[in-house]
Amino acid sequence: MLLMAGWAAEASAVDMMDGKLQLHGFLTQGIVLTSDNNFSGKSDDGPSFDFREVGINASWRPNPDVLVSGQLLSHRVGELDKGNVRLDYAIADWTALSGEWGRGGIRLGRVKHPFGLHNETRDVAFTRPSILLPQSIYFEQARNLEMSSDGAAFYLERYTGLGSFYATYGLGYGQVGDKSVEAAFIGRDFPGSFESNLLQLLNLLWEGDGGRYRLGFTSVWGSMDYDADTGSPMASGKVGFHPVILSAQYNWEQWSLTAEHFLEYIQYQDFGPLKPDGSVVAKSFYVQGTYRPVPRWETFLRYDVFYGNEDDKSGKAFHAATGLPGFMSYSKDWTFGVRYDVTPRFMLRAELHRIEGTGWLSSLENPDPFRLDKRWDMLMLLGSFRF
Amino acid sequence: MNYSLALRCIMRVSLLIALMFPESAVTAPTASAMAVITAPSFSKAAIPISTLRAIFGMRVQRWPDGTPVKVFVFGDDAPEHVSFCKDVLQVFPHQLRMAWDRLVFAGLGQYPEKVSTASEMLAKVSETPGAVGYVRTSEVNQDVHVLKIQ
Repeated sequence: MLLMAGWAAEASAVDMMDGKLQLHGFLTQGIVLTSDNNFSGKSDDGPSFDFREVGINASWRPNPDVLVSGQLLSHRVGELDKGNVRLDYAIADWTALSGEWGRGGIRLGRVKHPFGLHNETRDVAFTRPSILLPQSIYFEQARNLEMSSDGAAFYLERYTGLGSFYATYGLGYGQVGDKSVEAAFIGRDFPGSFESNLLQLLNLLWEGDGGRYRLGFTSVWGSMDYDADTGSPMASGKVGFHPVILSAQYNWEQWSLTAEHFLEYIQYQDFGPLKPDGSVVAKSFYVQGTYRPVPRWETFLRYDVFYGNEDDKSGKAFHAATGLPGFMSYSKDWTFGVRYDVTPRFMLRAELHRIEGTGWLSSLENPDPFRLDKRWDMLMLLGSFRF
Repeated sequence: MNYSLALRCIMRVSLLIALMFPESAVTAPTASAMAVITAPSFSKAAIPISTLRAIFGMRVQRWPDGTPVKVFVFGDDAPEHVSFCKDVLQVFPHQLRMAWDRLVFAGLGQYPEKVSTASEMLAKVSETPGAVGYVRTSEVNQDVHVLKIQ
């Protein structure tokens, strides 16, 4: 890691061809320790080091209207993601219209979803507001579904005296073929697999006063088909999902206040008796205050809530229906964290979570629901380099 | 705890803390200590601040006459950069850094080119068509054109 630090410092920024080709990357290692329950590896028995993010990207601007970019990413989070290297994004961006008024164009390829304020760069520690993004909205389980889709995105930007307006409309197929998505939606990694249908995304963002005020709206309309293999207790079925996120941020020089509210309409169809047809509304929100007391230091306090079913916040009905602990259907997470930028390229972070409920823990890491604890604490440490 | 109650608590606490640490608001552009400069061939006399923000936010790639935009900046901690951000663009340097990082790591943009000294800034801006940068007003020389903000 120290070697990497030296190398990254040497590499500083890799610009070629008069800055038209840029190469950047990051390496992040986290340590997770929980009082009970497992997150990001076997964190309950002792510190887990299975939290690692490595990425390298290149972008090339052959002329002012075209940008071609791609990033390779290895993302390791315990059993949820084994860290296989994959293509995170690969985009050909054409700015068709441009002027003092703004610009508009199209992006083709694997495009990250502008989903809430943080999704597009969620794996880059330097751009996140914490080690772990609020799990009520930026789930580690089922992350690949939120992440990106293969298709096209149209964008329009307007720069006015009343602020900047950004609109994106995307059409594509999501990344759903992993067992984490399966476990999140139907409870286990059953024989069979999910396939995404065409999904649509709309994101609107307003930035007032040069980004001092930011207000956002995101909505996705999507569905996926589950194709059951022999031996699966589930029948082949369909899950429809329709998340809606409202985002707000206010930035002072030393302070930032951020809040996001998330509603997700989920509809199950044809899975058979284990997952009866019906719909559920999941609800989440978080509020985070960040304070930068002196240069290079940052600290924050956040309250983050997730309800798997808006009509059953305490999980009583969930318990009555399944026999499983009711606290599995929600989470309330108080987090306090500190960030120190040792250099512009090297950062250290620590944060402490005090959590009630296990709503965003995965069955892949906690196979026995009766061994889950309702109240648990989590300590996370992180070091990250970038160039 | 009921979450609306928790929300109210957080709001109150943050408000309280905010009152405990009053900050100076971003100052309105003074008879600015910083000048926005472009290559001498540049024909435009003035542009709106909203467009200038988008240019330094690395979103605008062409000037109205079609010339490619090339942005030069000092390091984040350089006094010239801090003053330019706060007095001319009226944004905080950390916001600009975050905006660049978000674009670069989502594959939607590139970083500006960094220079270390005023003489390097003046030289690069004067010899690059479509270049835009900034220096202290007192350091402006004959080789560059000063761009006014509308």
